[in-house]
Amino acid sequence: MNKNGIAFSRFHPVSLFCYFLLLLLFTVFTQNPVLLTLALLGALLFNAATNTARQTLADIKFYVPMFLLVALVNPLFSHSGATPLFFMNDNPVTLEAVLCGVNIAVQLCAVMLACKAFSKVMESDKLLALFGKVSPKLAVVLSMALRFIPLLKRKWGEISEAQKALGYFREESVFSRLASYARVFSALVTWALENAVDTSASMSARGYELAGKKHFSLFRFTRGDGIMLALTVALSAVTLAGFLLGKADFAFYPRVSTVNTDIFSIITYAAFGILSLLPFIFEVKEVLKWKYLRSKI
Amino acid sequence: MKKTQILKYLILLVCVPAAVLLGALVFDDRKYIFVSACVAVLSCVPFFMSFEGKKTSTKRLVLLAVMVAFSVAGRYIFAFLPHFKPVTAIVVITGIYLGSEIGFLCGALSALISGFIFGLGPWTPFQMFAWGLIGLLSALLSAILKKNKIALCTFGALSGVLYSLLLDVVSTLWYDGAFNLSRYLALFVTALPVTAVYAVSNVIFLFLLAKPMGEKLERIKIKYGL
Repeated sequence: MNKNGIAFSRFHPVSLFCYFLLLLLFTVFTQNPVLLTLALLGALLFNAATNTARQTLADIKFYVPMFLLVALVNPLFSHSGATPLFFMNDNPVTLEAVLCGVNIAVQLCAVMLACKAFSKVMESDKLLALFGKVSPKLAVVLSMALRFIPLLKRKWGEISEAQKALGYFREESVFSRLASYARVFSALVTWALENAVDTSASMSARGYELAGKKHFSLFRFTRGDGIMLALTVALSAVTLAGFLLGKADFAFYPRVSTVNTDIFSIITYAAFGILSLLPFIFEVKEVLKWKYLRSKI
Repeated sequence: MKKTQILKYLILLVCVPAAVLLGALVFDDRKYIFVSACVAVLSCVPFFMSFEGKKTSTKRLVLLAVMVAFSVAGRYIFAFLPHFKPVTAIVVITGIYLGSEIGFLCGALSALISGFIFGLGPWTPFQMFAWGLIGLLSALLSAILKKNKIALCTFGALSGVLYSLLLDVVSTLWYDGAFNLSRYLALFVTALPVTAVYAVSNVIFLFLLAKPMGEKLERIKIKYGL
């Protein structure tokens, strides 16, 4: 049940979905730089721990320019703030806008990296198990579509090979190539539609239209999943309490407010920090366990 | 059937206004993005629910899956040309020939499956909504779009531009928390080449695919009595 080798993805889809949903909601709806930095740190460490070297390089190439662009562009569009640094085309570039831009960039990267982690952990079978609970019919359509995609790609290859063998597939000019592609595509569409109707006939024959069917799911909700879910909910509850008490409030305009450092604020930060770092913690735990077990051989 | 009808109206008449109110009251500086995300998700839900509650023939179900697969597989086949993708064209064709419900679902599910494969992100609900809407609109305009090729190509170009405009609104709300016109215009201008590629690719794919695919779909409908 754990094909991608990520420790965190061993949990039940429901626990994982709740985890990412709560994490993303908190990240999207706060402007507090401490919380956002913690969110970014968690997502960054988890992605770094599960990436291959090549993926890490590609991520750096994508995220660093994006971060800089978002951070630098904000002061050009936002002129609120009480502390002008200098003037550009008669518009003030304010300290507040610069800091706010950096904050938005942190938030954007945190959300995108968390979504990336979500995609890594939740493979399509987990998502289908989730959808199957809510809407079995949609789950059937989704899983069939996911199965048809590689089938169509393979059939595309087969048809073009056949056309080449028959001497129909010409690539002398752009137009002849386009015509050849069109012929292959036309054959593919005909085949796919006929195949779809055959599939549906087969499904009906096996009683798909009968009442009382359920979506098949391999995932069992174990005690570990329950503990994980409870932990997520508990940490989120503490964070939410902090939000409601205004401990996470932060504003950039007109002046940058100071970060709260009273005891309950620190508890809020700690709770959210643990929440955000959970996937990375599981990953580290797994590596340490592996090292320990190997050392005993 | 009755229950899903009631739920559908409940979502449209209660949940959407509630989301707007909650957003305005609770989330001071992030309210627009919260509200728009909620509305995008909630407006897809009635379609999913009426599809779930209704008795759809298995043939239509599988045809929907095939059309979704075509639009996503097209992204692979044309992977070498960035942004030049047949997704919108396939969604439009599905809307025209298979009706509004299948059209909407084809758009929304194509976005969702693209998310499964190429990475889910904050943009996924808006993509689902935008492509679903394109499928729905093309079904509503199907009488004109079926006959008139110029109208079809114009519709394709417009839907490419509208798709881009909508997603730019989302980015603006995301950066600023509110709608900042100068930022929106800047985003629109920087995205102009991509928007142009969207529009042109939609026109080309619709011009090439609409008739042959439409004929095949009509043939299947007659042959198997859909």
